[in-house]
Amino acid sequence: MEVLQNDLRSLNQASRLTSAVKDVDLIIAELTAAREQVAATLDTHTASLTMTKLQNPLKERFEAVNKDLANVSKAQKKLGKSLDKALPPKPLPTEHDAMEDRTALINRAIAMHLLREGEFEVASTFITETQDNPSLDLSPHSPIPIPTDTGDADQSMSDIDDEMSHSMSTTGTTRHPDLLPLQSQELQEKFTDMYRILQDLRSHNLMPAIEWARQNSEALEARGSNFEFELSKLQYVWLFKGPATNNLPDDARNGRSGALSYARANFGRFQARHLREIQQLASAMVYAPNLADSPYAAVFASDTAFSDVAASFTREFCSLLGLSAESPLYVAATAGALALPRLLKYTSAARAKGTAWTTADELAFETPLPQRMVYHSIFVCPVSKEQTTEANPPMMIPCGHVLAKETLTKLCKGTRFKCPYCPSDGNIKDARQIIL
Amino acid sequence: MADFEAAKIVHENHLLLDQPLLRLPYELLRKNFRSAHWTVEKESTQVKTLLKDSATASLNGRSSPEDVLKSLDTMLAKMRGLKRKLSSYADEEARLYRQVGARVSHLSELSGMHTVDDVRYQEWSRQRLDRLLVDYLLRHGYSASAVAMADKKAMRDLVDIETFMSMNKIRKSLEDGSVAEALAWCNENKKELRKMDSNLEFMLRYQQYIELVRAQTTDKLVEAITHAKKYLIPYKDTYPREVHQAAGLLAFPPDRVARETSVSNGFLSVYVPYAALYSPDRWKELADLFVHTHNGLLALPASPLLHIALSSGLSALKTPACHGSHSAAKGSSVCPVCSTELNELARAVPYAHHSKSHVEHDLLLLPNGRVYGKAKLEDYAAKSGLPADNVKDLVTGDVYPQDKLKKVFIT
Repeated sequence: MEVLQNDLRSLNQASRLTSAVKDVDLIIAELTAAREQVAATLDTHTASLTMTKLQNPLKERFEAVNKDLANVSKAQKKLGKSLDKALPPKPLPTEHDAMEDRTALINRAIAMHLLREGEFEVASTFITETQDNPSLDLSPHSPIPIPTDTGDADQSMSDIDDEMSHSMSTTGTTRHPDLLPLQSQELQEKFTDMYRILQDLRSHNLMPAIEWARQNSEALEARGSNFEFELSKLQYVWLFKGPATNNLPDDARNGRSGALSYARANFGRFQARHLREIQQLASAMVYAPNLADSPYAAVFASDTAFSDVAASFTREFCSLLGLSAESPLYVAATAGALALPRLLKYTSAARAKGTAWTTADELAFETPLPQRMVYHSIFVCPVSKEQTTEANPPMMIPCGHVLAKETLTKLCKGTRFKCPYCPSDGNIKDARQIIL
Repeated sequence: MADFEAAKIVHENHLLLDQPLLRLPYELLRKNFRSAHWTVEKESTQVKTLLKDSATASLNGRSSPEDVLKSLDTMLAKMRGLKRKLSSYADEEARLYRQVGARVSHLSELSGMHTVDDVRYQEWSRQRLDRLLVDYLLRHGYSASAVAMADKKAMRDLVDIETFMSMNKIRKSLEDGSVAEALAWCNENKKELRKMDSNLEFMLRYQQYIELVRAQTTDKLVEAITHAKKYLIPYKDTYPREVHQAAGLLAFPPDRVARETSVSNGFLSVYVPYAALYSPDRWKELADLFVHTHNGLLALPASPLLHIALSSGLSALKTPACHGSHSAAKGSSVCPVCSTELNELARAVPYAHHSKSHVEHDLLLLPNGRVYGKAKLEDYAAKSGLPADNVKDLVTGDVYPQDKLKKVFIT
């Protein structure tokens, strides 16, 4: 790519169509001059003399224009060559477009992506444009009931969250399918809230986030999240540092005394779960003059605290909406770029061999992705080398080793089998299905 | 380490999706040059001939100074016209070179990054997604959204709004039943279309013929025959079936075809092909054919780049668990394939192939059959404030004493 960049820079600026324009200008000048001469005298002799004299210069000028064009074409050919070198053309696999006819689903994914990225204007343009085109409508989804009489957005949001946690606890592991596709308007309101709170967090104002966490404390706790306490803790630390660091007004509500009264007012609710940490925070008072050398230095180091807390806020906020923190569309597109070379290699090999691409359940080749992009546990049966699925689940045998169910069935002699990995054996009825 | 390998950016392979980014402006540059060249050729030949003729005439005394003046004015007008056209080609050339420059420097940013975990790569990849989105929006005709997005992200030079907008205009005109715009486009790209053996122009002419026959007035039918002689019959060797059907169409007026096919339910198969010719669906097919030809000519992939990225990406990310019935973690999980946004979409693609297990370390089996890593269980127990020696299921929330757990060995 650098080579291409250099080649592009070295392409002569003169080898552009502008030089041809300049030469055409000269022709116009010659013609204008000739016209003036003829017009001035309107004499037959001058006219024929001028015209004769015009022949050769104009011919040369036209040749110059052609030469300009030849140079332009030469420069373009050079560009084409270095482009081929930098980015040798490799046709993309488009024979089987699995995404064709799924416009509605893709549109919905894009709309949600735009909303979650805070691109509200683009999102609303997009939604209007897709709705104007009924055949490409966003996929139908039923809105979640939002109590409108409360009038307060935050209020209604906590209602939804209550509802959500309620439905989660009653139905156990299955979620109501219509609960998640929020309508764009509601989604936009929520993300507007999220970006407002994030903005405050960036300017070191924790209060809106704390308020949000308190309103949703039940749902957060149900997820095993300590976010509310983390925020309160940071608020304590922030106040503790005093006006020199936090730039808040120097009054009773700031500094160590402010931190103490904040702790008195707010830490009570966390006592059951976070007693140890609260004790640490309180004891730090003793070390106030030389905190940096105290055992509590780590607790009070807040360089990245605000960006950390902003990241966990985004995560918590999205997960309460049933969304993941990072845009799935972004992750999928990035993974797509990473996996594409393998796909291309495979399709061209398959084409060369004449074997057709089969849309089986599983890809025919590995597409290694970075650890970050592996989201589920994957169990490959060590005997059959097949991934376990719902139809062929992983089974644990009494010695603790795991095999795919089909493998186990094949291994059985009668009802007994021997573990392929250790000397123990067992009965088929002692093997149990596990969920990884 | 395997993960290091997977996270590495292989530069020569990482820009597959970005080929059209440079190919398209290059193809446009060539096209622009061809048009400029053709204009210069045409105008300069005319001016040169005119110059020679008027000089000879003037020398021979066959023309007065006024005649000379008149032909000089014609030449000037022609040259001024040429200058105007050439200037606009030069402007277009400058714009395209600027785009190539911007795109090359965007792509070369990547060469400074070596792993996908690099923060700069994530930024770059985000911009790539934005580009893919604009490409998708443009190809689906959502022009306003595409423009809004490109302007918001300040990346006009990285997307091809003009190209797709004019493509959409022609596509729209075909869908609305007009061939004029598409024929003009064919005329502009005559040589290249012939080189790629495109049947677009023939099909457009064919449609014109069908429309003339459809009208059924004597005038139109006569015109249809002249039209066929001029545009269809010369291709009788290349498209014998179409030309024969075109001739046959004269014997099958639209009302009769409609009557017969509706009565016979398609049993009288002789009418069926003609019914297809009269069908309004042909306009949609023509629009598709045009888009296909247009993209082929400009070296653009046939389907939106986002489709390609998504089908490959979703496949690579997908696991059998993502569409399983008991994937309890659905929705709350961070897996993009399990997400609300993409779950349905991912049904269309196969799941990734793995030859090795990817599981957490120190797996423990809970009495309810669920397996978790030890570290995760301990962490969750601490967070939930459980009494010591107890663990809590991360999904179901069941609490168990630690001595009920069994070790799991994954080989």
